[in-house]
Amino acid sequence: MKTAKKALSVAIFACLFTANIARAQQTAADSALMDRVTALEQQVADQKPGESHFMVVGLATFGFVSTKTTFNPLTGAPQVVKTNSLADADRYELSPMLLWRHDNKFLVEFEPSFDGTSVGVNWANVSYFAAPGLVIHGGYFVLPFGIYSKRLAAGWIDKVASDPVGFDLPGTDFGIGVSGGYPLGSMKWSYDVSLTNGLQLLPDGELQNAGVVDNNTNKTITGRLALLPLSNSSLEIGVSALFGGVADAGSSFSNANTNMYAADLSFVHTFNPFLINIKGQYNWMNVNRQNYISPVDSSAYSFNNRSTSAFGQISVRPVGVDNKFLKNVELAYRYISYNTPANSTWGSNYSENNIGLDYWLSWRTVLKLTYGKTHSVSNSSTALGGMPGITDTNNIYLQFSMEF
Amino acid sequence: MNMKTTRIKKTTWVAVASLGILIAVVLNGCMESKMVAAKSGAQLWAENCQRCHNTPSPASFSHDQWVTVGMHMQTRAQLTDKERQKIVAFLSQ
Repeated sequence: MKTAKKALSVAIFACLFTANIARAQQTAADSALMDRVTALEQQVADQKPGESHFMVVGLATFGFVSTKTTFNPLTGAPQVVKTNSLADADRYELSPMLLWRHDNKFLVEFEPSFDGTSVGVNWANVSYFAAPGLVIHGGYFVLPFGIYSKRLAAGWIDKVASDPVGFDLPGTDFGIGVSGGYPLGSMKWSYDVSLTNGLQLLPDGELQNAGVVDNNTNKTITGRLALLPLSNSSLEIGVSALFGGVADAGSSFSNANTNMYAADLSFVHTFNPFLINIKGQYNWMNVNRQNYISPVDSSAYSFNNRSTSAFGQISVRPVGVDNKFLKNVELAYRYISYNTPANSTWGSNYSENNIGLDYWLSWRTVLKLTYGKTHSVSNSSTALGGMPGITDTNNIYLQFSMEF
Repeated sequence: MNMKTTRIKKTTWVAVASLGILIAVVLNGCMESKMVAAKSGAQLWAENCQRCHNTPSPASFSHDQWVTVGMHMQTRAQLTDKERQKIVAFLSQ
């Protein structure tokens, strides 16, 4: 009898044990199946066009700047001007960016911007992800020339409070373009080429964007080629070029054209406990020889219309330390040089040093304290009404910037 | 005349062979190395985002939004397609 009871107990235990294993296996299978179903649902949702793929991000920047400007003319007493400003075009910006994607092939990007004085548009374009390594875009977009304008200009990315002088051009334009990135063994390379309306030559020899109503039948080609030679992508070296006609149709500048070249470098790497971030760009801009009209007596004059601009920047952040406050502190330095043509009405040799202390409230929110000192020697022509002299400014910025 | 023809032929052959080798090297180079292919989304996120800005928190956006942001960042930083896909998959977890 005892033996029978024992056998019965063992049989019941075996049944329960087997049932539990089966149930556990069933639960695991159900769970895996549910995970798979969820993943498939997500894949299907990614492909669907619709309002769910619309999102708004953007950036907001505001701050304070205290400036002391001293102008030393060749003759006469220095002139000093002091200002304290809570916000102006360089210290205030609110730019919501609207992104909308149509499945995984089309992306619409639109960024209006309010800078305290007017509402403008930073970019408005459509991209088509045609194939691996090939994105075709059209509309109004930042030209692929160097790295500053396209990647580093946003306030929550820029390490110092002000923008580097001399990097506005070629800026943003209307047109079409292609871009992409490819592996190259353990390296990478990328290209970004565009065809746009181009720039416009002003009566004083300066260049500006032509706008949506093109000023001539010429088109401008701009391109950047980059190589990331290290497998961890820490180093990027780029070269850019721009060629195009810049004359208004029918104007006396009928054969005017510009050629621009740039070289850029980016190196970001952690040497524990410090994150080192180095950026640099050199621009060379030229307009072929033209005759301009003097604003003083309407006579013709000419000058070598060539400008160069450069910046070098380094920032250090102790990301590897345990102290929560210290690891969010970043020290930054930037040097800028900008030389515009002598014997024009706008020629000068300009340099600027900035040193900044940043505190990162989050990965996309920063409080910046920047001290900047600029030095500009005017070499504009006195015969054209220029006023030779030296201008020095000292700026202290306190700026808050965030991406939202 | 014959010598010249021979010289041209040799030059042509050398040029064609050189071009062939160059194309082969480039095509081979466009294949990612095993080390690069084995990189996880987390590693690519850490390496690529900080080229321009701080590495983003995965909690910042939903999966659907990360897909959109990934496309936006590809147009900005010319990420490769595989990099974008792996980074978005990591950030969406």
